[in-house]
Amino acid sequence: MHHSNRRIVLIDPDPETRQIYAARLRSQDFAVDEAKDAVSGAEMALAAPPAAVVCDLWMPGVSGLQLCRLLKAEPATADVPVILRAEHEDPSSRFWATRAGASSLVSKDRMGDLVRALGIATQRPASDEAFFFQMGGGADVRDRIAQHLDRALFDSVIAAEVRALASACSFDRLFDSLSQLLAQLVTYRWMALMTTKSGDLAIHAHRRCADGAEAEVRAALSVPDQTSVLRILDADAVEGPPSGRTVVLDVLLGESPVGRLAFSVPSGQSQVDEIASIAARELGGPIRLAILMEESQRLATTDGLTNLLNRRAFGEILDRELSRCDRCSTPASLLLLDLDHFKVINDSHGHAAGDAVLAAVGKLLRSEARPYDVVARWGGEEFVIALPGATAPNAQSAAERIRNAIAQLVVRDGTGEPIPLTASIGVAERQPHEPLDVTVDRADRAMYCAKVGGRNRVCLAESAGRAEDADAPDDLASAA
Amino acid sequence: MTKTVLVVDDSASVRMQVSRALASAGFEVLEAVDGIDALEKLTGGATVALVVCDINMPRMNGVELIESLAQRPAPRPPILMLTTEGHPALIQRAKASGARGWMMKPLKPELLVAAARKLTAA
Repeated sequence: MHHSNRRIVLIDPDPETRQIYAARLRSQDFAVDEAKDAVSGAEMALAAPPAAVVCDLWMPGVSGLQLCRLLKAEPATADVPVILRAEHEDPSSRFWATRAGASSLVSKDRMGDLVRALGIATQRPASDEAFFFQMGGGADVRDRIAQHLDRALFDSVIAAEVRALASACSFDRLFDSLSQLLAQLVTYRWMALMTTKSGDLAIHAHRRCADGAEAEVRAALSVPDQTSVLRILDADAVEGPPSGRTVVLDVLLGESPVGRLAFSVPSGQSQVDEIASIAARELGGPIRLAILMEESQRLATTDGLTNLLNRRAFGEILDRELSRCDRCSTPASLLLLDLDHFKVINDSHGHAAGDAVLAAVGKLLRSEARPYDVVARWGGEEFVIALPGATAPNAQSAAERIRNAIAQLVVRDGTGEPIPLTASIGVAERQPHEPLDVTVDRADRAMYCAKVGGRNRVCLAESAGRAEDADAPDDLASAA
Repeated sequence: MTKTVLVVDDSASVRMQVSRALASAGFEVLEAVDGIDALEKLTGGATVALVVCDINMPRMNGVELIESLAQRPAPRPPILMLTTEGHPALIQRAKASGARGWMMKPLKPELLVAAARKLTAA
């Protein structure tokens, strides 16, 4: 009587070879079920999962590789080791055998290798709770292989679509494209994606269920209320009260968590699990890349100390902004601001204090500016502010307001001592179609004029290029 | 001693087919029309040697039924799935919940009887 975990299904189309092998294996105390082709071998294995399956890599009809893929895809036989035999153990046979899930590839003329491979494969303990699978009357293993192939194709098409989202340059765009893709494949009330490290959260829901959906998402993903959220609202998600079930999946990149993907699906939607798991499996790379792209974009355009735009990003934005002004014949003005006696601040209060001053001024300028104004650190202690839509008088009063705010700004050094702070500002209204560097140059000369005129003041550039003194501030006497 | 098989299927004709095959092989047959009905019969004290269970049924489907049976204390009757479904993910769920076999419809009576004998062998 053979122990149950020594039963082997041996598949070989050639009766003579098969009998020789079977006899050899029986003499090694294996119980051998013989099959003449992959189809009948697969049926045997599925109906009563054996300890191992041995078959040729290349066989007429269904090949050993196809058989191996089938057995690995079937839950009943997924754990059954498959040993493939080839005429030669060439690297390409080994590659395909491994990809198909074979546990080993042995050369046909090496009986010893086969016995050793079987010895290892049959060391697993026999399970009393074996699980079998039988196709219904009329169905054939070949149909089943075709179904698995179909499923594999389905999987790889969706996987390729999800991986292609890596071309999105930001998390927001990635999520937008993801929602467009998944809404075609899955019926859901809402779909949500959150990232682990950066804490981004995005939701796609029906436009009439936005608030309810957001509350459900925050509960399902345990996201605190104050986290900002990107909402994509349209009619691609279905409308309706909470119902059905919520599917939440971890998104990993290798071993490390990258985010979580969640769906709320109406009951009766069984395909969502499969599509959701493919999406979650493939999203790690695209999410990581989108976050890195955003980060590198931010680093390339932002001044680290003040969090304002840097000079290069200012130039790029202004080129677009100014050509829009030219098209619409709207005015635009430029302020060039230089902190007074900054070298003295650095020398007497230390460089850390100087940095604190720059950061504080950056913050102040952002809060003083209108949303569509463009604020940048021009370099050193110089700042530039573009005011689209502003004429010279508008810009001049804005500059005056900023000058005043800086004079009242309290920044303390490391010892708690307040640092006296003022700024000189040059204002230039842009002439139609004037290149940016020319306007900057005129604002720069107006700023120089303000310096020469005693600092802590605003000077307006003349259109001809000659600067004139603006109204002198009342507190000129107290200027630094 | 005759062994009792609980046949769970919402289709009366499938229940009849299955019952006939099993009865002619000497089994006692008990029928349920869905998962809830099956749970009630099992809780009601019926001694069952095997459950033959469909997947797509109203109220409670077959996977939900075996998942809820898996929560119960042993001894539990072995479960055989008999269904038109064949998706590997569904089969995997049934296997993970302790089902012992999966047979696809259309039914082959001799295969069903052989499986029932194997699973009820002491």
